[in-house]
Amino acid sequence: MASASTIAIVGASLTGQSAAATLREEGFDGRVVLVGAEPQLPYDRPPLSKNYLRGGMPFEKTLLRPPEFYRERQIETRLGTTVVRVDVEKRALQLDGGDRLEFDNVLIATGGRNRRFPIPGLDLPGVYDLRTVADADRIRDAIARGGRAVVVGMGFIGAEVAASMRQCGLEVTAIEPFKTPLYRALGEDIGLVVEGLHRDHGVALILGDAVAAFEGKGRVERVVTRDGRRIECALAVFGLGIEPVTELVAGTGVRVDNGIVVDDHCRTNVPGVFAAGDVANHYHPVCGRQMRVEHWQNGIKQGAAAARSMLGRGQPYDEVHWFWSDQYDANIQYAGFHAAWDAVVVRGSLAERKFLAFYMAEGRVESVVAVNQGRDLRRTLPIIKARVAIDPARLADPNVDLRTLAPSERPA
Amino acid sequence: MARFVTVAKADSIQPGQMIKVEIDNFPIAVANVEGTFHAFDDTCTHEDCSLADGELVRTAVVCPCHFAEFDVRNGAVLVAPATVPLKVYPVRVQGNDLQVEF
Repeated sequence: MASASTIAIVGASLTGQSAAATLREEGFDGRVVLVGAEPQLPYDRPPLSKNYLRGGMPFEKTLLRPPEFYRERQIETRLGTTVVRVDVEKRALQLDGGDRLEFDNVLIATGGRNRRFPIPGLDLPGVYDLRTVADADRIRDAIARGGRAVVVGMGFIGAEVAASMRQCGLEVTAIEPFKTPLYRALGEDIGLVVEGLHRDHGVALILGDAVAAFEGKGRVERVVTRDGRRIECALAVFGLGIEPVTELVAGTGVRVDNGIVVDDHCRTNVPGVFAAGDVANHYHPVCGRQMRVEHWQNGIKQGAAAARSMLGRGQPYDEVHWFWSDQYDANIQYAGFHAAWDAVVVRGSLAERKFLAFYMAEGRVESVVAVNQGRDLRRTLPIIKARVAIDPARLADPNVDLRTLAPSERPA
Repeated sequence: MARFVTVAKADSIQPGQMIKVEIDNFPIAVANVEGTFHAFDDTCTHEDCSLADGELVRTAVVCPCHFAEFDVRNGAVLVAPATVPLKVYPVRVQGNDLQVEF
């Protein structure tokens, strides 16, 4: 790799810093420039809805690398800087201050932004969403003022924020249009377990209803639902999912379809332009289809995979996707790729919230959810990757060591 | 004053196994790696999870909650999300007594 070459990384978060670090680990001695819209060095987002939100963690502890890490490795950082456009022809980034940054290869790791829907009153003070540490700080201040909180949307972010606010002593009402929390991700059986978890911790759950408006004079005072409920509140937090940040490649010829479309080497259709992390709609060789995920583990691993790919040392990126969510005393983990399933096999006890649930399709384990069973979930990863039929009775039997169920790996 | 404390019978931990013990109410994990014992803080430096509930993969301990990995021989972080190394403790076997210096 010629020393003169420059690799630009757009997005200074988990994926971007992982790529930058990997470039140096792999011996790349050209210029590495990490451009980030937020003013902070790359930090870890999972604590923002949990320990950090509860005030139990200083910001410095969320930094993914200490400041000297970037200096020592000559990773240039341009923070507080938005990339307006990737000029594919001239191989340059157009920055928001008017500067241009030329590159030989570029990695787009811009992640996502929170979805906003045209709900009346969404812009009222006291209505929050959570993506950045600045968002978390605003919610922390509101938590400190107390009162009832309304959580809109019981996906993972909503569920974690609801748990954190209960742990801070707030009264919490949560509104979810589906019939259980996490319904879309985990289905009804496991959604009911999560519903019980939140009800047991004092969350007032309103299911099968949706927000019609946020109301208040100069500040949110109540949430009004489609079914006519009126919930007085001091603050509201909505978690309605994210959309990938792709406008910087609009009209450049880089293919965009639910994110930036890449192959299993993180390559877009334009040579020299790569994407990874939440923004990347990537081809997954284990599943044989495109997918876009918003997981911590994918951010870090795909960033590293993209770095190696940019250096011409790429391997097909075939990680079994995995994520966790901590709510109260429940460590929830998910691994795999289910889109649809025809059976759920449970190992352990749903009532005690200590179990694995295997989502099956045509006899194969497509994905697994674990509650407080992380060790066993990890032992399931080779089973998911193998994509062969597994005897459900053995999956369900806690006396069967899961490590014995995956077919042994073929010799390389 | 650090001293060696007997925490278990050495033959009660098989190779590839970990146990959790307490010394002065402080949780310590002990791992048997192919006949050699290693003692380290049971609580992951990332969040408050018990490493003895995790997986021992050769010389690495994998936290069950977020899959951070540490080298049980020296406490070094091998895999994020942990960033802070794990404290390790000297171990000796006297007869069949497994002892940890604490």
